[in-house]
Amino acid sequence: MAPQLGKRKRVTREELEQPSRSPTPSDSGSESEEGEDLQEIFRKAFEAKFKPLEVEKKPVVEEQVEEEEEGDEEDDSEWDGISDEEEEAGVEVVDHSGSHTPVERMSKAQLRAFMSSKPPSSTGPAQPSKSTSTNAADDDPAESTHLKNDLALQKLLRDSHLLAAAAASTSSSDLSLTGALRHKSTDLQLQALGVKTSIHAQKSMPMSHRKGINAKARTKEEKRRAEAKENGIILEKEVKKRKFTGERERGVGGPSVGRMKGGMLQLSKKDVREITGGGGSGRGGRGGRGGRGGRGGRGGRGMKRR
Amino acid sequence: MSEPSGQPLIRFTGHRHLTTRLLLATLTGRAIRISQIRSSSHTHPGLTSAEVSFLRLLDAVTNGSSIEFSMTGTTLVYRPGLITGSAEGLGAIGGVVRHELHKECATRGVSWWLIPLCVLAPFSKGNVNVILHGEGCITGATPAGDVSADTVRTAILPLYRHFGIERNIELRILKRSCAPGPGKSAGGEVQLVFNHQVRLPKTLHLLNAGRVKRIRGVAYAVGVSGNNNARVIAAARGVLNKFVPDTYIYSDVSSAPLVPSNDRNNPSGKMKGAVGFGISLVAESSTHCFYSADVASPPSGGMPPEDIGKQAAYQLLEAIEKGGCVENTALDTMLCLMAMGSEDVGRVALGRDVAGSEDFVQLGRDVKEFTGSAWGLRDGAEDKEEVVVSVVGRGVGNVGRKIA
Repeated sequence: MAPQLGKRKRVTREELEQPSRSPTPSDSGSESEEGEDLQEIFRKAFEAKFKPLEVEKKPVVEEQVEEEEEGDEEDDSEWDGISDEEEEAGVEVVDHSGSHTPVERMSKAQLRAFMSSKPPSSTGPAQPSKSTSTNAADDDPAESTHLKNDLALQKLLRDSHLLAAAAASTSSSDLSLTGALRHKSTDLQLQALGVKTSIHAQKSMPMSHRKGINAKARTKEEKRRAEAKENGIILEKEVKKRKFTGERERGVGGPSVGRMKGGMLQLSKKDVREITGGGGSGRGGRGGRGGRGGRGGRGGRGMKRR
Repeated sequence: MSEPSGQPLIRFTGHRHLTTRLLLATLTGRAIRISQIRSSSHTHPGLTSAEVSFLRLLDAVTNGSSIEFSMTGTTLVYRPGLITGSAEGLGAIGGVVRHELHKECATRGVSWWLIPLCVLAPFSKGNVNVILHGEGCITGATPAGDVSADTVRTAILPLYRHFGIERNIELRILKRSCAPGPGKSAGGEVQLVFNHQVRLPKTLHLLNAGRVKRIRGVAYAVGVSGNNNARVIAAARGVLNKFVPDTYIYSDVSSAPLVPSNDRNNPSGKMKGAVGFGISLVAESSTHCFYSADVASPPSGGMPPEDIGKQAAYQLLEAIEKGGCVENTALDTMLCLMAMGSEDVGRVALGRDVAGSEDFVQLGRDVKEFTGSAWGLRDGAEDKEEVVVSVVGRGVGNVGRKIA
């Protein structure tokens, strides 16, 4: 046991003699004695350096002394009569059986939940989630600042090329963007969040303008590719626009042939041709399938040979 | 007597357990014949008006039932129909069945009608919306041992959650009333809305009763000072707070219900119904088992609120001491729902005193008569005084919702 400073309960003789729950009662007792000695040593050292401390009396000791004194008084034969009378007269009966506990009020929501006509739900009252979230934020201020810094850094990295342009134009060391660059930054942020089109893309314009813009973009790209080819630089593959093939993705559960219209399965001439196998179309159903079947057959023969 | 369905009548004797027998007959669709109903009584032979009223209620929520009495009312043949609930045109007006309990029915509390009706309701074809009202409708606890409507709402209806029946269930106490003395009438009004019908209730496996985590209650004062409530609550809390600090008892003060005074000179005159006060306590365990206690002032009066509060608290402690997952008042509900479940073995742990009660034993015998499968009993965990009851479900469930 470490020597404790401040108030501590005195270990009485009875307690020491009782079979204690602690495995080594004698040890603890001796340790406590040591603790007191240590405190005495500390006190003396302190008093040598500074002015003497006020000795404060321990209340436990006082009580014991008082009890002893009372016992002495009772032993005296002079006071027997009076004390007896006093005891008879002043018997106070305290009834704790019907202890009146202070009635705590429940919240209105809980009252409504229980006293409504529905059977009360067994789940407890819902705690306000707002307070818990704010508590979580309050709990770890370092964590929240880290999070903020993280977000700021991500934004900075994303906008770094804009910043270069800004620095070139205005030669200001400030990292905050202004004007058109700020709009561009917002656009980038929106695109990162998953916006389909840029906010700068113009929605409507004269047809000639749009055609001009498209043509310009195409020529620019072609020029870039041509220059790269001349210089032997390998560029990324060109993304070719898929041409409309006429085939469409069929929905799940719909008819696998033809189209449903007005509760009627409509088959085009092409569909009919594919089913009947007639006609001499290039990719005619019958021929193609026959070819596949033939291959399968050959495979089968191969198995036999083995 | 030959039956059109081919199944012979199930025969019972005596007036006891009449509601559970009628309930099982309706749920299983078997016709029953009950004879020798109070046949030895010279003054009041046959069915009481409360029992007749229950039969009328069954008739109102079913379609095609037939009830035959003998001349003296000592023999009854009941052929159940389909449970239709509050279907329009079959006793319901505006989707609500209004069932009047007459003055003679005041021998029983309204829970005597409500608890079996709640068991029927999940197996109904349509929604169940029944208002019980009239001069014999007592919402409070009665000296006969019927629990209050508050207990039905807070301790019995939550049990349906174990069976997957939990949506759109309401029990509205529209007018409170206490048990009337001789010559007086009650005049309460209760509405049961039970709109969650199922095909089959879920199989129940409830073996751990858990520990009581909270106690709630309702103290009601009808036509008497609200101070009675405060005194009842203080007395009950004085006993219970030591064991469960999470104890809250709500107070509900209402005026006495008005009932028509059958005065010849003043035909539209009203007079006050029965007054009184009482308390309903519910303890909930960590595994959602419920124990309840109900005490109300006797109709003759002369009992201080402190005694009632204390008595209710001790009654609750006794119910908790009995242990198990189901207490006596909820026994019929739980075991009937288990017996009507899917063709699977459900298990529930009961306290020895609960499993040894006459109600339990008779219910077991009756269920065996109706479904043909007996219950299995075995000892529970070694350290607990519990019995595990295994109930095989009938696997038929809701006939009205077969095609859904």
